[in-house]
Amino acid sequence: MIGIILLVVVILLLVIAFVAYYYNKIIRLENRIDNSWAQIDVQLKRRADLIPNLVESVKGYMKHEKGVLENVTKARTSLMNAKTPRENIDADNQLTGALKTLFAVAENYPALKANENFLQLQDELTHTEDKISYARQHYNDSVLAFNNSIETFPGRTFAQRMGKKERQMLEIPVEARETPKISF
Amino acid sequence: MMTVEDQIRKNKQDTLFVCIFMLLLLFGVIFAFGFAIGLPPIIAMLIGLPLSILYVLASYSFSVQSVISAAKARPANPKKRDEKLFMYKVEEMAIAAGLPVPKAYVQNSSDINAFATGKKPEDAIICVTTGALQKLNSEELEGVMGHEMSHIMDRDILIATVTVGVVGAIALISEILLRSFLWSGGGRGKNKSGGLLIVIAILFAVLAPLFSRLAYLFISRRREYLADANGAYLTRNPEGLARALKKIKADLPDDPKGSRTVAPLYIANPFKRSLRNSIWSTHPPIDERIRRLSQM
Repeated sequence: MIGIILLVVVILLLVIAFVAYYYNKIIRLENRIDNSWAQIDVQLKRRADLIPNLVESVKGYMKHEKGVLENVTKARTSLMNAKTPRENIDADNQLTGALKTLFAVAENYPALKANENFLQLQDELTHTEDKISYARQHYNDSVLAFNNSIETFPGRTFAQRMGKKERQMLEIPVEARETPKISF
Repeated sequence: MMTVEDQIRKNKQDTLFVCIFMLLLLFGVIFAFGFAIGLPPIIAMLIGLPLSILYVLASYSFSVQSVISAAKARPANPKKRDEKLFMYKVEEMAIAAGLPVPKAYVQNSSDINAFATGKKPEDAIICVTTGALQKLNSEELEGVMGHEMSHIMDRDILIATVTVGVVGAIALISEILLRSFLWSGGGRGKNKSGGLLIVIAILFAVLAPLFSRLAYLFISRRREYLADANGAYLTRNPEGLARALKKIKADLPDDPKGSRTVAPLYIANPFKRSLRNSIWSTHPPIDERIRRLSQM
């Protein structure tokens, strides 16, 4: 009799441990997605903050490139006003393109290229851009891990009961690693 | 062809398998020891196991500081452009891995090398040589940082310290065991079966340190492949690390700095560049690593 009670208790404990493990795993993976979005957001803000300094230091040198600078400022404004993740990413892609053109054009201004302040800003903006793309990559890795956990057995049964749905990945622009082509 | 994910899974399985083998060896020497001093095996186990765990923990808790001082490393200086760019790369890889940003350290040496240390991701350190900062371009440095970040992510520092600790414990117990046999002059062998057991125990005491050392080296090489694969997964660019390894291969070490105990930690062994597959080396041959990376 005691043997049977003991067996039942052990089985119950195992079931509880099993449920807790999968419940926690799904919650943990979902939190990781939200956390990695926050990381992207931080980097986007940081990037927007750097732009005014860059425009300021470049303005004096690039008198004939008004359009280039305007594009950068415009992209920054739409990044500041972006509300949904989709808008954020679109505005950021726009800003990446505008900055690429600006840095390519800067190659024609030796005085600007020798400017310590400009160089530092360029390094830091490139760094922020890299951080954003790695943060996006980590976001997608997190989404993949989460989606895998709720689509495969036994996570699937738990996810259905917990009302968890598949998450969407961010699309990474294909041209992100290519160098810009500028014609004069 | 294996995908990155397949390589990662296989390397993890191998590590687990060899770790279990090492633990069995440790149990074996403790048993043999218990037998030699006439203790029941259970008692020997109860005394021996906590002692070996304590030994491992002690070496683990002193590991970070001793590594940094053995390598004569200093924190990176953000005022210098190349060191600043290195700090940037460390931060980017930490973001890609979703881990806290490790501290960036620099070691003065004309060699191209790097290592990671730290007990857990929160207090990890990534160190590069000044030679690496001068000779590697941004993409190659990124590949190396991805490799080091993977060591932190997979807690290789923990695995390395624990396995070194187990190797040390096995060597220590076997040593005592052999000496106790010498002193007692095999006096315990009153009957034939006892004599045979003693021969087996002596043989075991001689062979266990050797096997545990080989098992440790095997794990070390596996973890290097694993860090290469994981690093390529982080940067999504195996080519960068492959090119860095080619540069390391072409740039043979001239003036190795740091102690030999730190050598297994580096991305490439600073003392000896094994070009052939050897069971005695801490790192796999560079050519084989480059080949595996180019297949990804």
